[in-house]
Amino acid sequence: MSASAPINTAVDLGGIALRNPVLTASGTFGYGTEFGPFLDLRRIGGFVAKSLTLEPRHGNLPARIVETPAGMLNAIGLENVGVDAFVREKLPALPDGVPVVASVFGSEPASYAEVCKRLTGVPRVAGLEINASCPHVKSGGIEFGQDPTLLADLVRATRSATNLPLLIKLSPNVTSIAEMARVCEDQGADGISLINTLQALEVDLATRRPALRNVLGGLSGPAIRPVALRMVWQASRAVAIPICGIGGIATAEDALKFLLCGASAVQVGTANYTNPMAAAEVADGIVAWCAANGVARVADLVGTLEVPE
Amino acid sequence: MDAEVAAHADAGGPNRRLRLRVADWPGFAPGQFAMLSAGARGSAQRDDPLLPRPMAVYREHAVPGGSEVEILYKVHGRGTALLADARPGDRVRLLGPLGRPFPDPPAGGRAILVGGGTGIASLYELAARAQGEVLVLLGARSADDLMGRDDFAALGVSLDVASEDGSAGRRGLVTDLLAEALEEGGAPSVYACGPTPMMRAAAELASRASAATWVSLENPMACGFGVCLGCAAPLAGGGFGLVCRDGPVFDAAAIDWENLA
Ligand SMILES: Cc1cc2nc3c(=O)[nH]c(=O)nc-3n(C[C@H](O)[C@H](O)[C@H](O)COP(=O)(O)OP(=O)(O)OC[C@H]3O[C@@H](n4cnc5c(N)ncnc54)[C@H](O)[C@@H]3O)c2cc1C
Ligand SMILES: Cc1cc2nc3c(=O)[nH]c(=O)nc-3n(C[C@H](O)[C@H](O)[C@H](O)COP(=O)(O)O)c2cc1C
Ligand code: FES
Repeated sequence: MSASAPINTAVDLGGIALRNPVLTASGTFGYGTEFGPFLDLRRIGGFVAKSLTLEPRHGNLPARIVETPAGMLNAIGLENVGVDAFVREKLPALPDGVPVVASVFGSEPASYAEVCKRLTGVPRVAGLEINASCPHVKSGGIEFGQDPTLLADLVRATRSATNLPLLIKLSPNVTSIAEMARVCEDQGADGISLINTLQALEVDLATRRPALRNVLGGLSGPAIRPVALRMVWQASRAVAIPICGIGGIATAEDALKFLLCGASAVQVGTANYTNPMAAAEVADGIVAWCAANGVARVADLVGTLEVPE
Repeated sequence: MDAEVAAHADAGGPNRRLRLRVADWPGFAPGQFAMLSAGARGSAQRDDPLLPRPMAVYREHAVPGGSEVEILYKVHGRGTALLADARPGDRVRLLGPLGRPFPDPPAGGRAILVGGGTGIASLYELAARAQGEVLVLLGARSADDLMGRDDFAALGVSLDVASEDGSAGRRGLVTDLLAEALEEGGAPSVYACGPTPMMRAAAELASRASAATWVSLENPMACGFGVCLGCAAPLAGGGFGLVCRDGPVFDAAAIDWENLA
């Protein structure tokens, strides 16, 4: 390869064509328009919008966030504008040329499926990501992603509701991520995103209360990166469908480790808060690393972790 | 945006005064804030503490080739302790100015500014730019803690101080001073920033005196520009306002104080 040959950064994520493998994670990038002043969205591979429910939702009382070692807890409580307002108001405001993945939330498979239907055929929606970390109302609040039977029902219901590329975003709060990944593949998902936040608790010693009003929150940020890497690696060995790696990614080096562990693409989450340009810098940094290391095609790195015998 | 530390000095007790050189600073309005990285940026990525800290823009200074943004802050926890180590020439990440400012005090009217603790920093520029009659009331735990007193005094505005231990001004709470000032009547507008209980008490006093009241909330933040939804404040009419985007300045009557904290 000549030193000046352009690096091929294009990847395919379950039928979603991305110019580079770096997306932004749901809930950390708003509806995309908020980043206008800081970042040209055409520098990133795509973005995943805040999870949408059928009806608009208000979310939890404060405190909703607290900083923890190398991370943060959040319990926002599914606050969103609702699927119809997203289609009507948020999508048209986005600049052209950036693939939009819509994230879907519900309390029953049927409400997830209805949101999927309303997003299918909408121009600009390149794919759907099903947030399976939502508590299932009828099963007493256990997350869909924590029970293989509930998860299978959810994937089946959403699969039959849309012909768009369908990613299932898995909860890390499980014993076997490989088993959950296989359920998704068996029910016809096109890809898997992982991980969502890790269930956690922080205490305010001065008040002797939980730091968050919701008591429990989801841990994100660099603190969860090694856990996420482990889960991506385990899932990638269990299924053939592509994986989108998420968890504490802040630099190109972080993202490259996920690619080696089997992720076809990655999402940048909490790092968007500390640096609104983070996702673009990760994308640029991957190109620089490939150039320095003689890699012509980013996709060639996927799953190349060398594990000694 | 990257900013360079131009000067950094003690400002009494735990308080520090930071001047940051910013190349393309657009100017700010009183009440706006910036997100500052927790400490100077070294050559390595810093993961802990992770989040930037919201800080009011205290004032700005034109210098050749750009602006200097002044921040007055209290060394409080881990993030501000790291920031306190930043030396001239070090680089700090700065995002701002952010948020909705205070409305201009009505020309010819009487404005009462009530600041407690670190909230004092949000009020300086409002006092400096106000056209009509201004009374500034400052409160702190002790003389050591009190921020910005000399700066306000230098503006030539009327100034009254209270401290909980009596080491500065009157012994008591800044809201005691407000209650007295409101008795003088004259339909003032009230602008308050400080701990939530202080702002809530100020808002109740002012509403009994039928005074329009603006508060600048100090909720913890992660992003500062409306994407994490972490800073949400409950509104009296239902729903939430984002402190970073819809605030930090709110009409006190619009806040659901019971559920704020
Ligand atoms: C819009 C806005 C403007 C601000 N302007 C200024 C300013 O000009 N000068 C200044 O000194 N400070 C200001 N603050 C407050 C400042 O952001 C906090 O003091 C700072 O984040 C504390 O960081 P730390 O790392 O020192 O403390 P941490 O280690 O993060 O926290 C120490 C303890 O304080 C609590 N805490 C942290 N932040 C807050 C908060 N905002 N309210 C209540 N409790 C909190 C934590 O839960 C923890 O228990 C402002 C806040 C906001 C939202
Ligand atoms: C404040 C906040 C809100 C989030 N909201 C959502 C959401 O609505 N839907 C979702 O699927 N994930 C949500 N997430 C999870 C992230 O998309 C991501 O999976 C997780 O934060 C791990 O990545 P990170 O460490 O890079 O942040 C949220 C995370 C944070 C911090
Ligand atoms: S601090 Fe993130 S939305 Fe306000």
